[in-house]
Amino acid sequence: MTRKFLTLAAGALMLGMSSMSALAAGKTIAVSWKTFQEERWKTDEAAIKAVVEAAGNTYVSTDAQGSAQKQAADIEGLISQKVDVIMVVAFDSDAILPSFKAASDAGVKMLSYDVLVEDPNALYVTFDNVGVGRIIAQEIQKVKPEGNYAFIKGDKGDPNATFLFQGMMEVLKEALDSGKVKNVCETFTDGWKPDNAQKNMEQCLTSTGNKVDAVLAENDGMASGVVAALEAQGMVGIPVGGQDGDLAAINRVALGTQTVSVWKNARELGKVAAEAANAIADGTDPTKIAGVGKFSGGAKGVEVNAILLAPTPITKANVSAAIDAGHITKDQACAGVAAGAVPGC
Amino acid sequence: MSNIPLIEMRDISIAFGGIKAVDHASVDLYPGEVVGLLGHNGAGKSTLIKVLSGAYKRDAGQIFIDGKEVAINNPRDAKALGIETIYQTLALADNVDAAANLYLGRELRTPFGTLDDVAMEAATRKVMHRLNPNFRRFKEPVIKLSGGQRQSVAIARAIHFNARILIMDEPTAALGPQETAQVGELIKQLKSEGIGIFLISHDLHDVFDLADRLTVMKNGKVVGSARTSDVDHDGVLGMIIAGKCPPGAIPGPGALQSAA
Amino acid sequence: MSKQQNSSANPALTDDGPIRRFLNATEIDTRMIGMIVALFAIWCAFDIASGILRGNFGGLLGGSFLTPRNLWTLLNQTASIAVMTTGMVLIIVMRQIDLSVGSMLSLVAVAGGVLQVYQLGPSLGVGHPAIWVLAIIAILALGTAIGAFNGYLTAYAQIPSFIVTLGGLIAYSGVAFLLAKGETVAPMDKTFKVLGGTIPASWIGPFWTWTLSFAACALIVFAIVNGRRQRVRFKFPLRPVWAEVTLAALGSIAVLGAAAVVNSYAWPPKLAENYAKENNITIPPGVEDKAGDAICMAGDAVVRCLEGLTLGTGYAAPVLIAFAIGAIMSFIATRTRFGRYVYAVGGNPEAANLAGINTRWLTVKVFALMGFLVGVSAIISSARLDAATNALGALNELYVIAAAVIGGTSLAGGVGTIYGAILGALLMQSIQSGMGLLNLPAAFQNIVVGTVLVIAVWLDQIYRRNVK
Ligand SMILES: Nc1ncnc2c1ncn2[C@@H]1O[C@H](COP(=O)(O)OP(=O)(O)OP(=O)(O)O)[C@@H](O)[C@H]1O
Ligand SMILES: [Mg+2]
Repeated sequence: MTRKFLTLAAGALMLGMSSMSALAAGKTIAVSWKTFQEERWKTDEAAIKAVVEAAGNTYVSTDAQGSAQKQAADIEGLISQKVDVIMVVAFDSDAILPSFKAASDAGVKMLSYDVLVEDPNALYVTFDNVGVGRIIAQEIQKVKPEGNYAFIKGDKGDPNATFLFQGMMEVLKEALDSGKVKNVCETFTDGWKPDNAQKNMEQCLTSTGNKVDAVLAENDGMASGVVAALEAQGMVGIPVGGQDGDLAAINRVALGTQTVSVWKNARELGKVAAEAANAIADGTDPTKIAGVGKFSGGAKGVEVNAILLAPTPITKANVSAAIDAGHITKDQACAGVAAGAVPGC
Repeated sequence: MSNIPLIEMRDISIAFGGIKAVDHASVDLYPGEVVGLLGHNGAGKSTLIKVLSGAYKRDAGQIFIDGKEVAINNPRDAKALGIETIYQTLALADNVDAAANLYLGRELRTPFGTLDDVAMEAATRKVMHRLNPNFRRFKEPVIKLSGGQRQSVAIARAIHFNARILIMDEPTAALGPQETAQVGELIKQLKSEGIGIFLISHDLHDVFDLADRLTVMKNGKVVGSARTSDVDHDGVLGMIIAGKCPPGAIPGPGALQSAA
Repeated sequence: MSKQQNSSANPALTDDGPIRRFLNATEIDTRMIGMIVALFAIWCAFDIASGILRGNFGGLLGGSFLTPRNLWTLLNQTASIAVMTTGMVLIIVMRQIDLSVGSMLSLVAVAGGVLQVYQLGPSLGVGHPAIWVLAIIAILALGTAIGAFNGYLTAYAQIPSFIVTLGGLIAYSGVAFLLAKGETVAPMDKTFKVLGGTIPASWIGPFWTWTLSFAACALIVFAIVNGRRQRVRFKFPLRPVWAEVTLAALGSIAVLGAAAVVNSYAWPPKLAENYAKENNITIPPGVEDKAGDAICMAGDAVVRCLEGLTLGTGYAAPVLIAFAIGAIMSFIATRTRFGRYVYAVGGNPEAANLAGINTRWLTVKVFALMGFLVGVSAIISSARLDAATNALGALNELYVIAAAVIGGTSLAGGVGTIYGAILGALLMQSIQSGMGLLNLPAAFQNIVVGTVLVIAVWLDQIYRRNVK
């Protein structure tokens, strides 16, 4: 899999975009959501709506309620309302392709948000998922460049578990080859379950006589199991990495029991996507938008224009970032932390 | 015998889906009396007595004990009224031992509220000895016993709790000659104690030997009732097979009308 | 003991071997012996294999499985499933099934977590002593209520329990997700965490471990003596005295042996060091040895060494809870009317009904009891993880049912023992933990656990056919 895209720091991207969005006005930007069942989409929506309306454009939305048919009908309706841009969180990325084509034919600009739709005319805006594994490994390596690493991977049936691990290995390859870092345990975790991760970690510690210096868990839930296993051995404090930006994990980062939680800031994603939508509505060529690169990592290998946002590693140093972004309250993030001990608390 | 029957079942009806298993049947039973219930397979005998034992809820009809109407809506009601039943299917819990079956639903308990298995086993040994002196397998689940041994357990359960009314649905079907004779003796003894007994059997000899009266059913209806002294084998066979009432019998709703 | 055995070699010449005679006399469940033998065989195999693949960490056979530490951990890992499987035995014995226990565990654990972390924590102040009490009460009550609801639908609405609880399996995890908003709810209340077994406060230490173990031995002896007295009272045939003594001895050896093992697992050095510092206990000087479990002072540094300060962990709270639940459930199953009815219904539901047992109400009670036990397990697992998530109980139903079945519970109903199911749970967790020690891929664990389940049932069939 070759990746032909640029991953840009989100900050730079936003700077480049804000100047453009000021020009747009009076356009209609629609979002077709796949579902509102899950809490997180509300966050995305708020961010998108704010950016769209700040530019003087109109925000409309539809909810497919978890049905591919309804989503197709939703898009049809939006086309007939003559909206300028449709951003789609696809429920079924294959089934929705004809709708994308119909929209493009009708002159509506398309964006696929978070979920890849392999239509060469649509701009894909998402987080760099493989990058998450890389960032976890980088952050751990920063604090523990040498030693025995344990890898608590996700469910063996989930391709994400493998992607994440690949990312980690890219970063650690050199250190592993030179023997600086040793892979002492590496287990998949049934169902990404924290309690399974705890058991796996306990067995890892038993089988190595506690000779583990750092743990790379593939998500925060499993990191909580890892930390519980470490606690029972009085080993709390050794570097532990995870991802998701779980509220409990951010609290652990502040407490120092977890080193990093890589966080995909939905607000950030919404903001970037909305700014891109504003620009496209104004007639800007997608390839001219800052941060756009080519991406062909989908199942069919179709090359699309894409903005791949780098996720944010939350460490003790920037717990405040999550608080400032409104992702977590100060009380939640700093529970049990002495005031002032951690920046932001 | 007194004039008030111990049990009177009046105009009992019950249907399963479309089948009228029991159709306006009436029977009665006096203290110290044995009444034989006869009829071909599927005539409704078991169903009728299951209404009495609380296993089935009747659709219509009344039940009187000592002349007073009673409500029998479940097996507990029946047992509370002193009605004990030996079911055709025996109704034993296969996976527990004889003592547990004997006391099922009314276990003996220690002062701490726990099961007093030893006391229950001791009592069981006593009753079983009376019925089946050769029985030794007190520790095994009843599913491992022979058909006759299982039947003995079912009989023991029915007679152990001072019943006033005893229902025996083909109690000797699986028993050997010796055990059958023993049950015969037992019935006579219980009768002499003033207990009323409904005896369902296909064996006319047994019925004539043990019963004071008999009632014949056919297709859910009562063909007729008679004192065993007033009819003979052939007459009863005619009632069972053809529904014809011989002169000594009082015809019921199920009797063949045209033949009269 | 051999003297007593000789005295029992009575005139009667039988062609039974000494083993058969021993089993007959003691009336020990031979199936249980089979399971224990299998368990030990698996333990030994893992110890040898882990020694070869991962190195020697003081295991009896050169590996890391047969070490006090691993066995201690194993017990903790088994506790949650073991608690639930005792209830599942009664459910299956009654010819029902409960597929919803895993989702139910997620739901009540998340509810307990949300109550502690989002409700009571902020309103009463984090660490308030009422928090853990209220959380436990809420979790147990909610579990019982959901179980009763399952039972009600099964018994009174006459929906097969398979369907009711299949619906529950799907629905309850959905509710758990909504309650948790897909998040991990953490951390648990400090005192609540004591029930999880991961922190020193939940380890009772050698003194209490020995005390409880001796009490258990006394109970065993009392039970045997009392049983004998009862049989004497009714002039029943008695077991030979040597058999009674052997039983008491075997039981006591097992209890005391287990106590010795958990007591010889020392606190992890770091925790021992912290404890010593906090309580002003002097750490003796000594020579550093990385292989030791004790801590000592080498100059100013605290190091590991062979001789020095060790603190035995003893049993951890979840294991004690599981033992207590096991004992209580065994008692309920065999010594109470409720238990007797459950088995009777399983043997012949119609007969039970005709005997005057209110089988519907009984069904509700059994499911409610299952729900209560799910609550207990939810407490153990969320305290142990120090977090509650909607994935916490996922798939637990399969392990709980598998443990009961491996332990000899017949899906046809009417047959099953509590201790068998607990052994089944231990057996399955042993395999999983063992595979974990070998660092084998999770896929292998699934293959092996699944295979063991099928083989166990197959062996059970053979056993039942051959042993009358
Ligand atoms: N639970 C039931 N559901 C449906 N039909 C039933 C049920 N019980 C009995 N019946 C029907 O009612 C009728 C009477 O059955 P019952 O068992 O009372 O006959 P019986 O006289 O006892 O026969 P047997 O001599 O064979 O024991 C039969 O047609 C039977 O099929
Ligand atoms: Mg019948």
